[in-house]
Amino acid sequence: MSAPVSPLARFWAEFRRSPVAVAALLVVVVTSLLAIFAPWVAPQDPYDLTTLSLLDARREPGFVGSGGYAHLLGTDPQGRDLLSAILYGMRISLQIGLAAGTVALFLGTTIGILAAYARGWVETVLMRIVDLQLSFPAILLALVLVALLGQGKAQLITALVAAQYAYFARTAYGAATAERRKDYVEAALATPLSGRRVAFFHLLPNCLPPLIVVATVQIANSISLEATLSFLGLGLPVTEPSLGMLISNGFPYMMSGRYWISVYPGIALIVLIVAINLVGDRVRDQFNPRLRR
Amino acid sequence: MSGYVLQRLLQAALVMVAMSAIVFVGVYAIGNPVDIVIPPEATQDIRAATIARLGLDLPLWQQYLIFVRNLFDGDLGRSFIYNEPVLSLIAGRLPATLELVLLSVLSATVFGIALGVYAGYRPDSVLAKAIMAVSVLGFSVPTFWIGLILILTFAVNLGWLPAGGRGQTVDLLGVAWSFPTLDGLKHLVLPAVNLALFKFAMMIRLARAGTREVMLSDTIKFARAAGIRESTILRRHLLKLISIPIITVFGLELGSTLAFAVVTETIFSWPGVGKLIIDSIAVLDRPVMVAYLLLTTLLFVIINLTVDLLFALIDPRIRARGAA
Amino acid sequence: MTTFRTPRARRALALILAGLASAAGSAHAQDGTLVMGVRGGPESLDPHYSALGSHAEAAKHIYDTLVWSGDDLQIEPGLATSWEVVDDTTWEFKLREGVKFHDGSDFDAEDVKFSIERIPLVSGPTTTTIYVRRVADVEVIDPLTVRIKTDGPAATLPYDFVRLFIVSSEAAADYSTPETANEGFNGGPAAVGTGPYKLVSWEPKGDLVLERYDEYWRGKGPWAEVIRKEMPNDSSRLAALKAGQVDVINYVSSIDYLALQRDASVEAVVGDSVYVMNLQLDQRDEPPGVRAIDGGALESNPLQDPSVREAIDLAIDRETMVQVVLEGLGKPANQMMPPGFFGSNASIAMPEHDPAKARELLAEAGYPDGFEIDLYCTSDRLPGDGAICQGLGQMLSQVGIRTNVNAISKTVYFPAQGRLEYSVFMNGWGTLTGEASYTLGSLAHSNDPELKLGAYNRVDYANDDVDRLLQEGATELDDDKRRALYEEAMAKTMADKVYISLVQLQTVWAAKANTVTFAPRFDEDTLAFFIQPKN
Repeated sequence: MSAPVSPLARFWAEFRRSPVAVAALLVVVVTSLLAIFAPWVAPQDPYDLTTLSLLDARREPGFVGSGGYAHLLGTDPQGRDLLSAILYGMRISLQIGLAAGTVALFLGTTIGILAAYARGWVETVLMRIVDLQLSFPAILLALVLVALLGQGKAQLITALVAAQYAYFARTAYGAATAERRKDYVEAALATPLSGRRVAFFHLLPNCLPPLIVVATVQIANSISLEATLSFLGLGLPVTEPSLGMLISNGFPYMMSGRYWISVYPGIALIVLIVAINLVGDRVRDQFNPRLRR
Repeated sequence: MSGYVLQRLLQAALVMVAMSAIVFVGVYAIGNPVDIVIPPEATQDIRAATIARLGLDLPLWQQYLIFVRNLFDGDLGRSFIYNEPVLSLIAGRLPATLELVLLSVLSATVFGIALGVYAGYRPDSVLAKAIMAVSVLGFSVPTFWIGLILILTFAVNLGWLPAGGRGQTVDLLGVAWSFPTLDGLKHLVLPAVNLALFKFAMMIRLARAGTREVMLSDTIKFARAAGIRESTILRRHLLKLISIPIITVFGLELGSTLAFAVVTETIFSWPGVGKLIIDSIAVLDRPVMVAYLLLTTLLFVIINLTVDLLFALIDPRIRARGAA
Repeated sequence: MTTFRTPRARRALALILAGLASAAGSAHAQDGTLVMGVRGGPESLDPHYSALGSHAEAAKHIYDTLVWSGDDLQIEPGLATSWEVVDDTTWEFKLREGVKFHDGSDFDAEDVKFSIERIPLVSGPTTTTIYVRRVADVEVIDPLTVRIKTDGPAATLPYDFVRLFIVSSEAAADYSTPETANEGFNGGPAAVGTGPYKLVSWEPKGDLVLERYDEYWRGKGPWAEVIRKEMPNDSSRLAALKAGQVDVINYVSSIDYLALQRDASVEAVVGDSVYVMNLQLDQRDEPPGVRAIDGGALESNPLQDPSVREAIDLAIDRETMVQVVLEGLGKPANQMMPPGFFGSNASIAMPEHDPAKARELLAEAGYPDGFEIDLYCTSDRLPGDGAICQGLGQMLSQVGIRTNVNAISKTVYFPAQGRLEYSVFMNGWGTLTGEASYTLGSLAHSNDPELKLGAYNRVDYANDDVDRLLQEGATELDDDKRRALYEEAMAKTMADKVYISLVQLQTVWAAKANTVTFAPRFDEDTLAFFIQPKN
């Protein structure tokens, strides 16, 4: 008899069977690495004003600029190397997406499990708030919060978290409620273990799969929402160009033939979001017991 | 059952009160709107006069009470910028948004469900894979990007459709609508497609997921075993079983589409409510912001209530629980 | 079944499609209707409600002003044909005879008095009281003569009246309180003027539809109907022009201008703008946005040192700013007003660009490693404002002054600037009245609310000589003497380099080739009456 295979290995074996999902995962990993190591990989630091030159502004891809190297993707109106700007922009997009997603994950999961565990009026009140929030469109909430709190990374992440924690809460609540009725939980509660231990060490791990699925979707959503807000002018300030801001800055140039300023950041954004969504899709399909026939 | 209904109505009312307070405080308490609204060169007396005229010198709770009292009179205040009653400002622009949103949601639902059911029914076919690929794109690509590409392709390069604005309107029931005219439809196409794409993709995925689950379920297996015709299975079982999640999502997505219209209206210069709110946020026209948020909340509360009540009718489990 | 394989069928199909396409984008300019795509529209149809440029521009279609400002902002007779000083505090205006309002009633001095007096009552957030701030009293002498008493000698009163719109004292009689004004004007009954077009309909942020007023005193306008469509998005506006939805658009961005030059179907009209971009440097002892290069506090404010200010001036490359950042749509500026205006000093030299010398000066002043500043500007008010700011940040950083650029929305920028939160900031200033007291009086004089001078001086700049010159100028009624005083004040102000003028902007309009012709205006107004069809 062969040694027992860990759940992770089983998961991975199954995941590997879809070439699309694997390709998507590869894209996500590569872009994340590029984003993390952007300061070393990018030919230029687009935020260091002393390295820029206005004479390099709006040059087409392949142009050799005053820095002595070829701008593979062209330059933007301030003379920034577009490749570097995209790498740094992806960095910001990922930062915001992950930060908002993680905080929302923690916040939402805590609320959801708390509601499922505590029951009674705590459950009702918490879930009513969550339900109301769920039906309120994320973009509206984010818009208003950003308008009130002002612009900046922290404010934007707060707005995104406020707009999205409800999904996690709802999912955690649903999963926890379903799990709670199962025998193993009743058994655990019958032991001297404190309720909190049961919730944390028994309920939570079994609620993880749907939460992971929601997390991937929400990270992609955060990135997309941040890009939309930046496009509307309500996202990050002009000097921290996320991909959304790069696209919006570049769009007026599309009509005059300088397409690269908007198109390449746009492609980068779409590739990133699509890859994350594809991975999330595959994970969701794998975790869905009702599809396992 | 009636206990359930009453409970939900009460909760809805509570939510409205809470929202009104939160929205009011949030919008009026941050910063000083006078600074936005007065030119820097204004002298002290002009400043004082403006503050008094807009009622901004009263303590916050007093402003709130006046606000609530006016609400019951049907008066949502006057816009700081236009000095017109907010209600008429919003009402004047609502038809434009409504026709855009309804057209989008309807086309997204109809086409989305049709394609999604097919993709779930024959998941391994080439067409199904293509549909899923399109849906992932429609889901992931931000709405504003698609809007820009649409304008660039169809309006600028090909010149087939207008780049923005609303077309000719006709008066129906005292309100101006643009869909009955050809010119109006031409202006509606691009923004409606832009707005619909995201919902379209979502509907496809939902319908597909629901269809796959249902097709693998015991109900279908037994029905097939019993020799029932495939088309009957589709009609009687599949559609009914996936209708519940779809109704929920439809209701919620209606509201969400209304919100997302903000982006589409901005790009296509569509004179709707969404554009109004963006402009109001930009200039901190607080009465408009507050009124819009309240009306939106009211709308969502109503939609939620309707969906919940529909469920109560469809799903016997809820009825049983509520009566207990 | 017909296929489109035969060449004949294909040609037919092409013709049909072309026909449909051209029907979609009909040449409005040929059937007597002018469709304008404008960036901003009026906030209401009450001309006294707002002082914003876009509001006044729309108002000029329906109403007339007492004094008219011509294309180059020099004043000409409008509804007033002549004006002169009667005594130190009184001006007398003679009014034009035979002018009628759209509803047939006569224009007379009562309407002027009524218009002036209703402004403080109905003026909205962007107040129009600035145009009548010097008026103490209005006296009707006879139906065509009006005497205005001012609060002290007001040499530039006629200039203030270039934005004084005249409404009908009869039609607007019941609509002159904050509650009634906008309803009366937006709804119709009070929106009666003497201007070239009559109101047909208007939606806030929507279309303003006008029809020609045949009895206009300047003559019959060239268009039977005028539709002004409000399209704030630059790209959409241009796309609408290309698609034929509108005939003329304003505020073409510099980005699109280059592409327009290559497009033979569209022609562009470029005009110098009255707006000059000025960098302003805080003179307070403890400026909030200035610090040492390592982030710590500085002992004193480097901006108070004239050689530091000169270094900043030398670091700026105005030519590159114009050629690269504005893509050629601008001119280097060495003072706060465009050349040729009343009070502009032609003998001020254009500052040089010498980064090496700038570094030297900074080192001598005690900042060999430079220092750090927070630079603020608007990103959505004037064409190129955000881009100029970013370019400025680059240029200053490259001489050692590390710059944190903050290009923000005007709705946040102006109030914060008014609260003196910024130390280094840049915005455009437009000398809308065409003469120096408007500009120097607001910016260069020290801030003195009693004298109503220095209202926009947000950097605590105070030069006693300049103050004295400006106060003398405000009460000097002789044109030549006044001009000399202002020219000297301008020279002294610019020499102090607390205000560093960067570039003068240019405005671009666009229209379908060979359809219309018009002269660009300094104040950037787009007026249908002066747009002629080309035949």
